[in-house]
Amino acid sequence: MFRNLIRQELLNHLMSARFFAAVVITLLLVVANSIVLLEDYERRLARHSHQENIHRQKVQEAKTYSTLKLSIERPPNPLSLFSTGLDKRLGSTFEIYHGLVPMISDGSARSLDNAFLNLFSKIDLALIFQVVLSLMALLFAYDAIAGDWENGTLRLVISHPVRRGTVLLAKYIGAMVCLLIPVLMSLLLVMILLSTASSIQLSGADFLRIGGIVLTTTIYLSVFYLIGLLISTTTRRTATSLMLCMFLWVALVLVYPNWSRFALTPVGDTRAIHSSTSQQVEQIWEEVDREERRFLANSPLEGKPQKFNLDVPQSSSFNSKGNLSRRYGVDMKVSNQSDPLVPHVQKYHATMGALYIRSAEQIALVRKQSLDSTSLRKAIWHERLMKLSPASLYTFATSTWAGTDLEGMSDFVQAAQAYRRTVIDYFHDKDAFASRQWFASDKGAVDWWDLPQFRFTQAGVWDNATRVLPELFLLLLINVVLFTTTFLFFTKIEV
Amino acid sequence: MIWHIIKRELFDHINSLRFILTVVILSALMVTNAAVHLRTHTESVRNYSENVTKSFNKIKSRTQLYSLAEKGPGNLYKSPSSLAFIADGGNAYLPGRISNGESWSKSGPGWKVKSNWWLNYGTVNPDAKDFLPQATKIDWVFIITYLLSFIPLLFTFDALSGEREQGTLRLCLANPISRHLLLIGKFLGTLITVLIPFVFAVLLNLAVISADSWTQLNAADWGRLGLVLLIAFSYAGIFVGLGLMISAGTREPRVSLVILLLIWVATVVFMPSTLGTLSTKWMPPLQTIDQFHAARDAALKQIDTDYNDRLNAIKEKKNPNLLSLSDLQKLFETSPETARAAAEKFMAAYETEGDEELALKAELVNRDVETRERFNRQYLEAQIAQVQRARGVTRFSPAAIVQYALESMAGTGFNRHLQYLEHVHDYTKQFRQFIVDTDRADTESRHLIGIPEGMSEKPFSSEAIPKFEDKIAFSDTFNTATLDLLLLVLLLGVFFSGAFLIFLRSEV
Repeated sequence: MFRNLIRQELLNHLMSARFFAAVVITLLLVVANSIVLLEDYERRLARHSHQENIHRQKVQEAKTYSTLKLSIERPPNPLSLFSTGLDKRLGSTFEIYHGLVPMISDGSARSLDNAFLNLFSKIDLALIFQVVLSLMALLFAYDAIAGDWENGTLRLVISHPVRRGTVLLAKYIGAMVCLLIPVLMSLLLVMILLSTASSIQLSGADFLRIGGIVLTTTIYLSVFYLIGLLISTTTRRTATSLMLCMFLWVALVLVYPNWSRFALTPVGDTRAIHSSTSQQVEQIWEEVDREERRFLANSPLEGKPQKFNLDVPQSSSFNSKGNLSRRYGVDMKVSNQSDPLVPHVQKYHATMGALYIRSAEQIALVRKQSLDSTSLRKAIWHERLMKLSPASLYTFATSTWAGTDLEGMSDFVQAAQAYRRTVIDYFHDKDAFASRQWFASDKGAVDWWDLPQFRFTQAGVWDNATRVLPELFLLLLINVVLFTTTFLFFTKIEV
Repeated sequence: MIWHIIKRELFDHINSLRFILTVVILSALMVTNAAVHLRTHTESVRNYSENVTKSFNKIKSRTQLYSLAEKGPGNLYKSPSSLAFIADGGNAYLPGRISNGESWSKSGPGWKVKSNWWLNYGTVNPDAKDFLPQATKIDWVFIITYLLSFIPLLFTFDALSGEREQGTLRLCLANPISRHLLLIGKFLGTLITVLIPFVFAVLLNLAVISADSWTQLNAADWGRLGLVLLIAFSYAGIFVGLGLMISAGTREPRVSLVILLLIWVATVVFMPSTLGTLSTKWMPPLQTIDQFHAARDAALKQIDTDYNDRLNAIKEKKNPNLLSLSDLQKLFETSPETARAAAEKFMAAYETEGDEELALKAELVNRDVETRERFNRQYLEAQIAQVQRARGVTRFSPAAIVQYALESMAGTGFNRHLQYLEHVHDYTKQFRQFIVDTDRADTESRHLIGIPEGMSEKPFSSEAIPKFEDKIAFSDTFNTATLDLLLLVLLLGVFFSGAFLIFLRSEV
C-alpha cells in the first residue's frame, strides 16, 4: 500500500506541467550561468598562474636577503562554481615579509579588466537551487493535503486500511524524489560542462564536497516542502494555502536575507577601536625606534641605514614606512675602505631583523583583536541574523562545503602565516639577518634555490563537514519539527 | 457596466488574504527603506560636504601657479543624490571620487623634472576588505521590481482560469457584456487592487522621509517621484497583463500559476544579471588590464627616450665634442685625471639650462600628462561601451528596464556616474584653462606651463580658481528614462493585447 501511494504521488508529479516547467527552467538557468562562471573561473586561473610567475621572477630578481619581495597567491576555488562565497571578493595576493604577519584583510585584489561589470551580479548554482527549487517545493506542497481534501480524494485514500502517517510519508517521499530530479540533472549537466574545460581538475575530495552540497540541497528543499505541507494541512482551501506559501516564500527567500543585512547593523563604536589600535601600534613602533637608537648610540655607524657612513660607490635601496609595517631593502657595493665597519652593519641588521619580527608579532596580536571586534564581528553578526531564514542557512552551508566561506579564507591566511614563519626559519638557518648578503651583493648574490615553496591545500572534507554541522543540524531540526507538527495536525483534522 | 465589473473585482480582492499580506509586506519594506535612508543619507551628505570643503581649502592654500599645475585640484567628489532611496544604483561598485594620479620625478646631472597632475579614474573594489555576506539593498527598485511583479501574478493567475473552472465566467458572459469590456474591467480592477497597497506604502515611506530635515525634496523632486510612480504603475500593469494572458490560455489555475511563477523567476530574478554577464562573452574583447598597462608604459617610455635623445642633441649642439656618459665612464678607467676634468665640463654643460632645455622639459611634462590621460580615457571608454552594451541586452527583462529608468530618475547608477565623469572632464579643462590664462596675464613669465621656471610667479587670487562642484542634472537622463518608459508602455500594450486575443479565442 505504501508503495502504491508513493507511486501514485510520483506519477502525479512527474506527469504534471509544473514538474516539466521546473526542470526546463532550472536546466536553462544552470547552463547559462555555468557557462559564465566557468569562463570566469578559467580567466581567474590564468591570471593566477600569471601572477605566480611574476612573483617567482621577483624572487629571482632579489640579490640580497633584504630586497626579497615574496608574495603568494590564493588559487581560485573550482567549487566557487557551486557557491561563490568570498572566493572572488577577498584580495588574493598576500605579501610574505618577516616584519608583517599577514591578516585576512591584507590581501590585495588585483584590479579587474572592467570593474564596472560588478554591477551585474554573478549567479552561482546554489542561488539557482535556493530560489527556483524552493519555489517548486512549495508549489508541490501547497495542494498536497488541501487539494486532496477539496477533491475528496483524501477521504477516499484514508478509507483504505492505511495509517495517516503513512499517507503523509508517501506524499513527502514522492515529492522529494521529484524535487531531486532537477538537482541531479543539473549536476550532470555541470559535470559535462566541467569535463569540457580542461583547466578544471576536480579531486576526489571535491566530489565528496559536491556530494555534501547535494545533501544540503536535499535537506533544504525538504524544509520548504514541509513548510508547504504544514500550511496545506492547516488550511482547508488551496487558495489560502497557496497565498500563505507564496508570501512566506517571498519573505524567507527574497526579503528577509536582504532586509536583515540592510536594516539591522550591530552597535559598537568601530572608530574608537580603530583609533585605539593605531595608538597601540604606534607605541610598538616607538619601542622599536628606541631600541634602534640605543643600538646606534653604541655603534660607530652613523646616518641612514641605506648607506650609513660607509663608502658606498653603488647602491640601490627602497624604504617604506607604513602604519603597520616598515620595510627597507638595501643592495650595495661596499668599498674596501669600509670593511672594518661591515661587522657593525651586520650586527645592526641582525638586531633590526629580530626587532621587526618581534614587533610584527605584537602588532598582529593587536590587529587580530581589533579585527575580531570590528569587521569580523560585524560579519558574524550579520551571518547569524541572516541564518534565521532557512534560505540563508543553505547559502552559508554550501559555501562552507565549497570552502569559500570566511573559515576557508582564514585557512589560507593561516597557511600564509605559517609560511612566513617557515621563511623566517629559513633565514635563521642561513643566518641571513646577520650575513653580509643581507645588505650587500658584492660578494655574490643570494641563491634562492632552497627557498621553501608555498603550498596550500584546502581543508579536508572532514573539516568542511564538521564546520557545516551547525547549519545542517539546524536545517534537520527544522525538518523534524515541521514534520512532527504536520503529522500531529494531520492526524487531528477531520477528513 | 465596466464600473460594475471593476467594482466587483475590487471588492473581491480587497477582502482576500492576499490583499492583507500585500499591504503588510509592502509597508514593512517601505518603512525600512525610509528609516535606513534617514540613517545613512545624513552621513553621506555630511561626508560629502566635509570632503568638498577640505578639497576647497587645499586648493586655496596653493599660492604658486606652478603648485596648482603640479598638485592639481585635489580630490573630486561625486555628490550623493537626495533620491538615493529610490535606486541605490550599485553605488558601492562605482568610484565616489577621482583623485590624483601617481606623481613621478626624473633627474639627471644638474636638472630635475617633476610630473604634473593627471586625471586618474581609479577603480573600486569595495569588497576586498569586507567579509559581510552579500545582499541587495532594499530600495524602491528592489520593492518595485520584485514585489510589484510577483503580487500582480498572485492576483491574476486565477482571474480567468479560476472563473472558468467555477463556471462564473460563463455566467458573467451570459450578460449583455462584451469580452473586451470584461477583460478591461478585470485588468483595471486588479491593477487598482495592487496599486492601493503600493501607494499606501509609498505614502508611508515619503511621510517618514520628508519628516527629516536632511532630505529636502523640492518641486522637481516631487515631479520625478510622480514619474517614478508612473513607471511603477506601468510595470505592475505589464505583469497584470501577463497574468491575464496566461490565465486566459490555460484551463487550470494551478498550471497557469506555475507557468507564471517560472516566467517571473527567469525574467525578474535571474535575467538582469545573467544576461548582463552572458552578453560580455559575445562582445568584442576588452584589452586585459595587463595589456593596457603594457601599452601605456611603452608609450611613456617612448616619450622618455625621446626626451633624453633631444636633450643630448641640444647639449651637443651647444657644446661640441662633449663626451657622453658611457664614454666618460670608459675614460675613468684609463685616465682618471682627464676624466675628472671632462666630467666637470659635462656637469657644467647640463646644469646651465637655456630656453630650449626648459621648453623641452615642459614638453616632456605635458606629453606625459596627455599620454596618460589619453590612454586612461580610451580604456575607460572601452569599459563603458562594454557596460552599455550589456545594459542594452538586459533590457529584455522589464525588471532591468525599470531599474535603469528609476536610476535615471533618482540620479544614481551608471548613467549618473557617466554624467559625473563628464563634469570632471569639463572641470579639468576649465582648471587647466585657468592656469594658462593666469600665466598669460603675466608678461614676465616664459609661458612654459608645467615647470616651475616657465610659469608666472605672481600671486593670484585664490578665489578665482575654479572649483569643482558636482551637480546632478536630470535633463539628459530624462531622455533615457523616457525611452525606458516608452518600452514599458509598449510591453504593457503587447501583453494586454495578447491577453485580449487569447481570451477572445478561448472557449468559455
